[in-house]
Amino acid sequence: MNFYFAAILLGLGFSALALGIFLSLRIFQIPDITTDGSFTLGGAITAVLLSQHMHALLILPVVFICGGFAGMITGWIHTRLKVNALLSGILVMTALYSVNLALMSRSNIPIINLPDIFSLVSFLPGSIQQFTLLLLVVSILWLVLSWILKTDFGLAMRATGNNEQMIRSNGVNSHQMKITGLALANGLTAISGYLVAQIQGFADINMGIGIVILGLGSVMIGEIFLNMFKIRSITMHLAGVIGGSILFRIILAFALSLGIDALYLKLIVSVFVLLVVSIPNLRRST
Amino acid sequence: MMFRKIFLFVFSILISVSCHTATENKIPVVGFLDLLQDETLANAKKGFFVALKEHGFSPADKTLEIIYRNAQNDQPVLLQSCDYMISKNVDLIASNPTLSTITAVQKTKTIPVFMMVSPRPDLAKLTDANGKAPANLFGVYETLEYIDTSVMLIRQVFPSIKKIGTIFNQSEPQSVDALQRIEMTCKSFGIELEKLPVNNSSETQLVVEALLNKKIEAFFALPDNTVFSSMELIVRSCDRAGIPVFTSEEGLVKRGAIAAFGADMYAWGHQAGEQAAQFLATKSTSGLKPEIVQVRRRVYNPEKAGKFGATFGSGFIAVQ
Repeated sequence: MNFYFAAILLGLGFSALALGIFLSLRIFQIPDITTDGSFTLGGAITAVLLSQHMHALLILPVVFICGGFAGMITGWIHTRLKVNALLSGILVMTALYSVNLALMSRSNIPIINLPDIFSLVSFLPGSIQQFTLLLLVVSILWLVLSWILKTDFGLAMRATGNNEQMIRSNGVNSHQMKITGLALANGLTAISGYLVAQIQGFADINMGIGIVILGLGSVMIGEIFLNMFKIRSITMHLAGVIGGSILFRIILAFALSLGIDALYLKLIVSVFVLLVVSIPNLRRST
Repeated sequence: MMFRKIFLFVFSILISVSCHTATENKIPVVGFLDLLQDETLANAKKGFFVALKEHGFSPADKTLEIIYRNAQNDQPVLLQSCDYMISKNVDLIASNPTLSTITAVQKTKTIPVFMMVSPRPDLAKLTDANGKAPANLFGVYETLEYIDTSVMLIRQVFPSIKKIGTIFNQSEPQSVDALQRIEMTCKSFGIELEKLPVNNSSETQLVVEALLNKKIEAFFALPDNTVFSSMELIVRSCDRAGIPVFTSEEGLVKRGAIAAFGADMYAWGHQAGEQAAQFLATKSTSGLKPEIVQVRRRVYNPEKAGKFGATFGSGFIAVQ
């Protein structure tokens, strides 16, 4: 399989996570740390249920609901118990570590010889089929999410992030909006865990560590497209986020193919991302 | 407008450079998949390449090409590094440690994978329903039997010990498996075991102090990632309380443990390298299979032995 093609596959797997981060960023304007836990939760549930020989497609809604539940708890702690949003996320993420460990009852579950989502049907050669299925899942998520965000409900949700007082004076329950938004975001994140666990062939208790940063990076890389082509539509905005996730993986793949000293890998990746993100913005300062 | 062009230009260069395919190589190519930067893992890697060199495969004489990638403990990077090796059509992948092995056998069913610093395939849950390991998995594994001998070692050196303490990392399968084995062994020896989980090296000091509070008489340092990153901390706390630290890895003895019985990391990598060299020489995997690590050593730290008044027989090698 072509190396860059594989990077695109992984980027597609992570794009659900980027969509989730985009949502929580738009609702809170802060990164939702719950992501680290709900991503692993998605992977953990996938591995456990797959090894119980459950059908891969049936696992998808389970994963979404469980991730959503984690997001709801964060939202509830934040809105009802008045805990700072960042801390709420940290608390739920920390608690999820134990939950995930208890779910898997060990720290790593390989799912190598099990029928996963990619082996449901076989009509194309391995990697092309993997690509098609990933593209299908991500496209569905993309279309549904952009539809939701265009409904009255979605507009109210976006407005909650922009101006909470205004939306409350319009008779919308802003707490409800935040809880729903976070549930949706973490449901998406869990789906990302579901996809990535199946791409890499195992679920690991540490698979979610620092993943929120990755999602933030993807959202911000995606925004360079939007600025470059002056896009305002929410559908294209979400597409940009998905593109950002894929581009992030391609940059990393490029850094890996250069064969730079392992010591400097992370530094070089940061510099590459900085270059890609900053070049279009230079025009403004000139 | 101009900057948009520059951007597209830079991006297209990035794409075109990245699509450049390697020219056909005549010399064998080995991919070495490392999970993280660690002194102990580096010993295994060293042993592996020394073994290859002894059989006439060395990058210095242009008889071997090495693609070395270290994921810096980032799982998606590990996956992409593995993808890169596969796309370069390496002759074999050397995987170090467990998570690299799992990733490699998941991503390829054809390229032989030579593992090191990994547990027996069934302990890593790599076997299928019939209990068979992946057909392309070779290299060297370890079981949990060393634990029994390690506990016996504590008994041998300090016969009066009734209570030992240990910390384990819930996020590492081998750590949890080893803990269960220690519990079993201690029970059969009539030793009481105090155990506490540590998930992050920042928690180590607190947890070790908690164990010392429970009046343990010896500390057993399970060689997992948290212990590797916080060994000095453990030794300092235990030294202050006058408690000896036992372990099962030589490098940790150099870092302040009193004695160890366990696999020699360098020899482990070397043994995997021997297998890999045989494969490179014959281009065939016939006769190769995952095998158990051969060299386990008894080592002790003379300085600590003096401090705790322990004597070690001729079966032990002193390390500094």
